[in-house]
Amino acid sequence: MNILSSITFTLHAATQASVYYYPLIFLGVVAFAMLALGIRGIDKKVYAGITFAAVLISMIMILLNPYDEIVIGNNSLLFNRFTIFFVIVLIISVLYIIFPALRGLKSKPEIFYATILFVLIGMLVSAFSYNLIIIFVAFEAVSLGTYVLAGYGKQKRHLEASAKYFFTGTIGTAFTVFGLSFFYTATGTFSLTSEVVSSSPAMLIALIFLLIGFGFKLAIFPMHQWAIDAYDGTENSVSAFLSTGTKILAFMILLKIFLVGFSGDYHYVFYLFVILSVFSMTYANLAALSQNNLKRLLAYSSVAQAGYLILVVALVGDTGIGNVAYVAVAAGMFYSLVYIFMKGGSFLAMNLVNKESVSISDVSGLARKSPVTALSFAILLMGLAGIPFTGGFTAKYYLFLSLIEGNLWWLAVIAILNSAISVFYYFRVIMFMFWKEPTTESNFNLTPYSKAPVIVSAVIMVALFFFFYLLPTLNGIAPGLFATMGGI
Amino acid sequence: MFILAIFILLILLSFATFFMGSRAEKFAKVSSALIVILTVTYALIRFSGPGAGGFTSENTYAFASGLGIYFSIGVDGLTVSLLILSSIISLIALLIANRKEYTTSFYGLMLLTESGLFGILLSRNFLFFYIFWEIVLVPMYFIIGRFGGERKDTVSLKFFVYTHIGSVFILLSILTLFSYYYSYSGVFTLQMSSLLNASFINNSSYLPLFWKDFMLFGFLLGFLVKLPSFPLHSWLPDSYTTAPYPATVMLAGGLSLMGGYGLFGIMLPIYSSISPIVLWALIALGIISLVYFAFTAMFQMNMKRMMAYASASAMGFVTISFAAGILDSTSSIKSIELSGGIFQIVAHGIIMALIFSTLYFITENTGKENIYQMGGIHREMPWLSSFLLAGFLASLGLPGLAGFIGEFSIVVGIFQTIGWLIFFVILAMIITASYHIWTAQRSLYGAYNENLGKVSDASRKEIAILASVTLIIFVLGVYPNLIFGIISAYVGGII
Repeated sequence: MNILSSITFTLHAATQASVYYYPLIFLGVVAFAMLALGIRGIDKKVYAGITFAAVLISMIMILLNPYDEIVIGNNSLLFNRFTIFFVIVLIISVLYIIFPALRGLKSKPEIFYATILFVLIGMLVSAFSYNLIIIFVAFEAVSLGTYVLAGYGKQKRHLEASAKYFFTGTIGTAFTVFGLSFFYTATGTFSLTSEVVSSSPAMLIALIFLLIGFGFKLAIFPMHQWAIDAYDGTENSVSAFLSTGTKILAFMILLKIFLVGFSGDYHYVFYLFVILSVFSMTYANLAALSQNNLKRLLAYSSVAQAGYLILVVALVGDTGIGNVAYVAVAAGMFYSLVYIFMKGGSFLAMNLVNKESVSISDVSGLARKSPVTALSFAILLMGLAGIPFTGGFTAKYYLFLSLIEGNLWWLAVIAILNSAISVFYYFRVIMFMFWKEPTTESNFNLTPYSKAPVIVSAVIMVALFFFFYLLPTLNGIAPGLFATMGGI
Repeated sequence: MFILAIFILLILLSFATFFMGSRAEKFAKVSSALIVILTVTYALIRFSGPGAGGFTSENTYAFASGLGIYFSIGVDGLTVSLLILSSIISLIALLIANRKEYTTSFYGLMLLTESGLFGILLSRNFLFFYIFWEIVLVPMYFIIGRFGGERKDTVSLKFFVYTHIGSVFILLSILTLFSYYYSYSGVFTLQMSSLLNASFINNSSYLPLFWKDFMLFGFLLGFLVKLPSFPLHSWLPDSYTTAPYPATVMLAGGLSLMGGYGLFGIMLPIYSSISPIVLWALIALGIISLVYFAFTAMFQMNMKRMMAYASASAMGFVTISFAAGILDSTSSIKSIELSGGIFQIVAHGIIMALIFSTLYFITENTGKENIYQMGGIHREMPWLSSFLLAGFLASLGLPGLAGFIGEFSIVVGIFQTIGWLIFFVILAMIITASYHIWTAQRSLYGAYNENLGKVSDASRKEIAILASVTLIIFVLGVYPNLIFGIISAYVGGII
C-alpha cells in the first residue's frame, strides 16, 4: 500500500503532469470561444452541440491520460483512478443538462452553455484536488455557476428558487470558510493529506463547520430545505443537474475531507454522520409520503438518497481504513454512478407533462398514452426504491453488504426500513401512471425530445443491474481515496 | 438442463405474452399448459423409482464468479413437488380468467409471477433466489392494483410494502452468511450448497452467536411474513379479498408456497443451528395462527375473506410441523411430520385453487360474495355447489381427500413433541370443520333465496376445469405416495 514511495517529485514528472491540465484548459477555451460566438446569434442547438462535443472530447482526453498516482504541486491535485472515476461520473451528469435544457432556453444560449462548461471545470478541479483551499475555490466556482443556471429562466419562480439557493449557498460557504480557518489553525496546513492527526478542539470545530458547510451543498437534513424549493422552482434540466452533479461532487468532497483530512477524528465523524444519515433518510422519506407535488417528492427522495450515500462515511468512520472501508467506498462509488441515472432521468421525466408544477395526479394515464415511457419512468422509480432488475438494487445491495461487513447491523436495518417506507411514495406514482384515468386530456408532451432521456436512463438502469463485476473493479480503485495519506 | 430449458422457455413466453394483443389470453393459457406438461414430464423422468427425491445435479453457470455469484439451478424432491404445484396453480388461475377487462398485460403479469416462482424454487444461488423472491411481488402488485376490487390502491401498496420488508430482512441474512463465510473458507460464495453448511453456521468462532441469531431472525421474519404466520398476516386477508379471483388463486396456491419453501428448503438444511427456544416460539406462533385464524374465519360474512383466513389457518400446520419435526428425536416420526408439512403446502395450494375458482364462478353468476346473500343455490347450480362442497370438505380435512393426508400426518407426528398442546390443534380442526359446514349449509343448501333472480350453472368448460382439479385432490387423497414418496426421500436425505 505504500504508494507514497512511488510518487516522485522529479521535474520530469511535473512536466509530464501538465498533460492532466489539458482537458480543463480545453474546456475553458471552448467556453470563451462560445461566448465570443455569441455576437453572431447562431441557433441554440449549435451551442448545445459544441458543448456536447467539448465535454465528450475532454472526457476522452481524461481517459487517455495515464492512470498513475500523479500528484501535482504539494499534494494539491491528485490524478488517479479514484478521482478519474468520479470525474467521469460528473461529466455524465452534465449530459443531463446539455440537451434537455434546450426546450426552456429562451435567450442568450451561449452564456448558458458557457456557464455549464465553467461549472464543469470547477467540478473537475475540485474533484481532483486534495487541498482545502483549492477545493473551496473550485466548489465556489461550481456554486456561482449553478446560481446562474438556476435563475436562467425569465419567470418569477426561477428567480425565487435561484434567490433561495443563492442565500443558503452563501451561508454554506460562510460556514465552510470558518471551518477551513479552524482546520488551518489546528494543522497549520490546508492540505488534506498532512500527517497531522490531532483531536484538538479546533479540529472538532472545523469538523462541525465543514460538515455544515458541505452538508448545505449535499442537502442532507437539517440543511436540506433550500434544495426542495430550488429543485422545485428551477427548470427540469437544471434540477436534474443540481440533484445529480453537484450532489455527487459534494459527496465526493465529503469523502475526501472527512475520511482523509480528519483521519484522526474518525470517532466523531462516525457519530455525526450516523446521526445525520439516519435523520436524513427518515425525515425525507416521511416528508415525501405526504407530498402531492411530484417534483418536490423527487427532491425529498434525493435528500433521502443523500442519507444513504453518507452511510459510507459513517461506516468508514466506524471501521477505520481497511478492507471493509474500501468495500464501503466502492459501494458509495457505485451508488453515485447509479444515482446519476436514476435521479437525472426521473427529474427529466417531469418534462413529459406540459405544466409548471407537476403534481402526482398529472401523470395519471401515462401508460395509456405511451406504455414505453411509463414503463421507463416506473423502472427509474423502482431503482430509487431498490427493487431488483434495476441498478438501484445492485447499488443498495453493495451498500448493505458493506454495512454488514462493517458489523453495523442496526444501521443496515434502519436503512432497510427506510427503503421500505420509500416504496410507498415511489409506487404511488407508478400507481397513478398505470391505473388511473387521465384527468385532463392532451397535457402530455410526448415528443421524442422529452421521452428519449427517460427511456435511455431506464435502459442504462436495467443494464447497470448486471454490473456486479463493477464492484471488484471499484474495490481496486477505492484505495485511491486514501492514496496520499502518510504512513498508510 | 431440461429444467433450465423449461425455465427459460417460461420467461420467454411470459415476455412474449405482452406483445400478443388480443390473442394474449389464448397464448397464455396454452403456454401455461405447455409448462405444466413439460414440468410433469420432467418430474416423471427424473423422480420416478424408489428413493428418488434426493438432489439432482446442479447446473452452474458463471455470472460473476469472483463475487460468488453463479446462475445455478438444481432440483430436489421438495422443489419438484412445489414446481408441479406452482405450474398447475398458474394453469388453473389462467384458465378461469375470462373477464373482458383482463387485458393483455394481465396474462403477461400472471406468467411473470409464475416465472418468478419457478426462479425461486430452482435457484441454488442466494442472490438469484433473493432477486426472484423480490421480483414475484412486482407483477402481483400490478395485478392487484390494476384489476383488483375496492380499495385496490391501498391494499396493493400494503401487500407490496409488507412483503418487501420481510424480503429485505432475508437479504440482510444472506449478506451476513456471505461475509462470514469468507472468514470460514476464504472464498466469496453465494451458493446455497456452501452457505447452508451446518458446521460453519454452528461454529461460533466463524459465525459469532449474535450474527447467527441475526441471520435466523431475518430468514424467519421473511418466511413467516410470506406464510403468513400470526403477527405478520395483516396483508393477507386484504390482498386475497381485493385481488381478482385468478390472482387470488395465484396468491393462495403460489405465493404461500414461498414461505413453505423457505422453511423447508432453506431453514431445514441448517436445522441443527436453530435453538429449541426459537422452535417452541414457532410452534406457539403456528398454534396461535391455527386457532386465531379459524376463529376469525368463523366470523367473516364475506366468503372470499373467510377462505382467506381459512387458508392462513391451514398454513399454521406448516409452521408447527416444521418446528416440531426438528424438535423430535425419533427419525421416523420426524420424517412423517416434516413430509406431512410439505404435503400440506401442496394440498393446501390445490384445495384453495379449487375453492377460489368455484367461488369465482359462483360470484360471476350470482354477483354475490356474502354468505347471507346466497342461500339454497344448490337448486340452481348443482355443479358449482357440489364442487364448492368438495373443496370445503377437502379443506376441513375429510379422509380420502388431499387435505386429510397432510393434517393427519402432522397431528400424528407432533403429538410426541407438543403433548397436551395438541388440544388446541384439534380444537382448531373442529372449528375449521364447523365453519366450513356451517357456511356450506347457509349458502348452498336450505331454502332458495329468490332475490338472486335467474342464475345459470357452470358451463361445460368450467365443469371440466373444476372436475380435473377435484380429481387431483381426490387422487392425492387416496394415493398420496405420488408425491409423498419424493418428499419423504428429500426429508430423509436431510435428517
